[in-house]
Amino acid sequence: MAKRVAIVGTGQTFHKSHRPDVNGQELINEAVQRALADANLTMKDINAILIGNMDHFEGINYVDCWSVDGSGGVMKPVIKITTGGTTGASLAVGGYHMVGSGMFEKVLIIGWEKNSESDTTGAITTAFDPIWDRQVFAGAISGLAAEAQAYMARYGASDRDAARVSVRDRKHAMNNPHAQLRKEISLEDVLASPMLADPIHLLDVCPRTDGACAVIMASEDTAEKICPNPDWIWGTGARHSYAYLGDCDWGRLTSMERVAKEIFKKAGIKEPRKELDVIEMYQPYSFAGLIWIEDMGIVGHGEGPQYVADGNTDMGGELPINPSGGVIACNPIGATGLIRCAEAAMQVMGKADARQVPDVNYAVSTGFGGCMWTDMLLHGKKKPN
Amino acid sequence: MTTKQKKGFEDSYVVEGKMALPYTYFAGSVGSKFITTVRDEKKIMGVRCPTCNLVYLPPRQVCDKDFTDIRDNWVDVGNSGTVTNFTVVRYDDKHMPRKAPFVLALIKMEGADTPFMHILEECKFEDVKIGMNVEAVFAKETTNTILDIDHFKPVAERASIQERNAGRKKWVADNENAVHGKQKGGKPDMSKPVIIAAALTGAATMRNQNPSVPYTPAEFATEAYKCWKAGAAMVHVHAREDNGMPTHDHERIRATYNAIKDKCPELIVNLSSAVGMGKTAEQRISQIIAVKPDMASLNTNTMNFSIVDRKTGKIFIEYVFENTFTMLQEFGKAMEENGVKPEIECYDMGGLDNTLLIAKQGFFSEPMNFNFVWGVAGGQAFRSDAFIAMMNAIPANANFTTCGVGTDQFPCIMQSCILGGHMRVGLEDNIKMPNGALAKGSYEQVEVAVNIADSLGRAVATTDEARAIMGLRKK
Repeated sequence: MAKRVAIVGTGQTFHKSHRPDVNGQELINEAVQRALADANLTMKDINAILIGNMDHFEGINYVDCWSVDGSGGVMKPVIKITTGGTTGASLAVGGYHMVGSGMFEKVLIIGWEKNSESDTTGAITTAFDPIWDRQVFAGAISGLAAEAQAYMARYGASDRDAARVSVRDRKHAMNNPHAQLRKEISLEDVLASPMLADPIHLLDVCPRTDGACAVIMASEDTAEKICPNPDWIWGTGARHSYAYLGDCDWGRLTSMERVAKEIFKKAGIKEPRKELDVIEMYQPYSFAGLIWIEDMGIVGHGEGPQYVADGNTDMGGELPINPSGGVIACNPIGATGLIRCAEAAMQVMGKADARQVPDVNYAVSTGFGGCMWTDMLLHGKKKPN
Repeated sequence: MTTKQKKGFEDSYVVEGKMALPYTYFAGSVGSKFITTVRDEKKIMGVRCPTCNLVYLPPRQVCDKDFTDIRDNWVDVGNSGTVTNFTVVRYDDKHMPRKAPFVLALIKMEGADTPFMHILEECKFEDVKIGMNVEAVFAKETTNTILDIDHFKPVAERASIQERNAGRKKWVADNENAVHGKQKGGKPDMSKPVIIAAALTGAATMRNQNPSVPYTPAEFATEAYKCWKAGAAMVHVHAREDNGMPTHDHERIRATYNAIKDKCPELIVNLSSAVGMGKTAEQRISQIIAVKPDMASLNTNTMNFSIVDRKTGKIFIEYVFENTFTMLQEFGKAMEENGVKPEIECYDMGGLDNTLLIAKQGFFSEPMNFNFVWGVAGGQAFRSDAFIAMMNAIPANANFTTCGVGTDQFPCIMQSCILGGHMRVGLEDNIKMPNGALAKGSYEQVEVAVNIADSLGRAVATTDEARAIMGLRKK
């Protein structure tokens, strides 16, 4: 019964720090209409819908029902998935499972967030244990700062090394009309921006964004009929690593390491650095662009800073990362992981316009959750065996 | 209530969501027990997994690794720990536990394997370091939450010694004429701070004799740290394999040396050039040249070095410890050329005279540092008058310390302290305390040495003072 699965269409809003002109349902509808148009399908063709966001950003708990005005889900199977930062990527993994099971032919996947309407730090803090962690800790930045601090202590990297990642992603965002922050910055700008939590500066971290993304997946039975160049999903994985803040191996993203090993092994990828063509990484702050490519197995431990500094991950480099500008340029949280997936799909399908990397055979997209979780998808031009 | 939106969007309205959703969370049976123990007994408890032996803090009902039910295996993890990671939060938000800026730290308690997040106070931001020792400060009034530990603060580890030293130094200065004036500059001279060294293992003390003998680099680091905290300025080290065998392997010795330096960078580390029984001259000196410690032992005569039953006189292990004149000379030169200060080990007056003879070649840097070793089966036993003879035989500007095997340990260091010399203790020489109980570690004997210094009104040397006194390279 298991089917091969492909992405046949994607749609995104033009993401902004604030979209006062639309409410949640209207925001969702923009992305859905664009995805249907991209796939040349209508709502009638859709067999099931997966939707997700981070509940506490909007304070709307029954998003699956509430959103039908925008999603088109009236009298269709609608399932909500919400896993914090990984929500968008978990939606993609869930969609793959639904189509791959052979029980749903075409599934519409929607991730969205109207972040401007929320108390961001309060909402994020609900991701942490109320007895142990919330008493002494709040928000996302200090946890990431702890990771950066540990990495610097272990491998001798500096905040200048990290700033290079911000500079890269903000430069790449110039090619993406959907990105929120479209203004180039310099190393000096990053280092001169206010220190939020040592060693993280303001320009090292992602913004808050209003935005939505929709992706349509279809099984091998119809994918090639409706789409000339479908993006085949070669593998997906998800790992959650700990219960409390102190439990993880700070300075390493163990969940990324495990999930990457599993997927690359399944796909027969031995040297990801050479075999992958592009990565869309859920990288909420600059240091992640150094640390997590090591955990993914692109370079060895401690080699991230040099690899990035040498331009290997820039457009035109050996392995471009985040041609879209990534999360540092745009972060509608519940959509962010799914945007990575959509952007990777566009790269494979050859639809990435000004941000297109030439001849993409393999692309990777990831999702990250505030508690050091990782979701990952491997996308490919060729139909999997 | 509706509010008009911004310019250009006059016809769109936002509606205020007025819900506040206060929750109350049960801390769980495990969490509740933790909280009540902190509240009522000022004790921090974790749970140990009997399957994988990990001690978890926060405590929990099942082991993350193997799903073993661990909720009833409570262990005391102590009230102090180490900062494994931290950040200074510099932005304010109403959800933050403190007003910015404040330090958020991951703290691994002494008896736990997982760190937990808490707040660090009573220290300057620039002083916060990974590896620093901190202790819990309990809340004055209970809130029945984990904030019954209000925060952590740095352990005032050196302050007590320093404070006592300050008092002593003042006392010595004030009473210079009455008490120490006649001694100053000569021997005995108690006006100088006393250097306490701890010999952590030697080559022959094993865990079946005292379970606190360190074998692994991490164990050496922990034990050295405890000694430093107790007042030692130097540790003497024979590196061991995991199974306890003394080793001449450069990598293992370097790992042991680095582990100690990582844990307490200022502590002086003195490596053995004897290593253990049956090692060749090359094996003994090449590791010193490779690692280049602050100081290393230099043995002064070929001698019996046996293990005997002290009651019956029966010989268990016969061994000749070879230290020819050539070795004394070549080892001494190699050390001096590599910036490693020799500690000259004299097991009797003959060894001391051997050294003075060789010293005429002029390669020893000043001041020379002698260690009078008592009670080796093959060397001389401790005698008060012999000690004075040894002291009188060394050059005027030389330093001396002393160590004694078994029951010789405490009498010989006490005499050395009275005579203005220095003191070495540690499990290498003696596994017991003065009352005959097994020492919990070398650090417990360091505490005895500190008490001796206290009783005599001598200041205990800091590592910087010890470096200056013995003429070691700067750290």
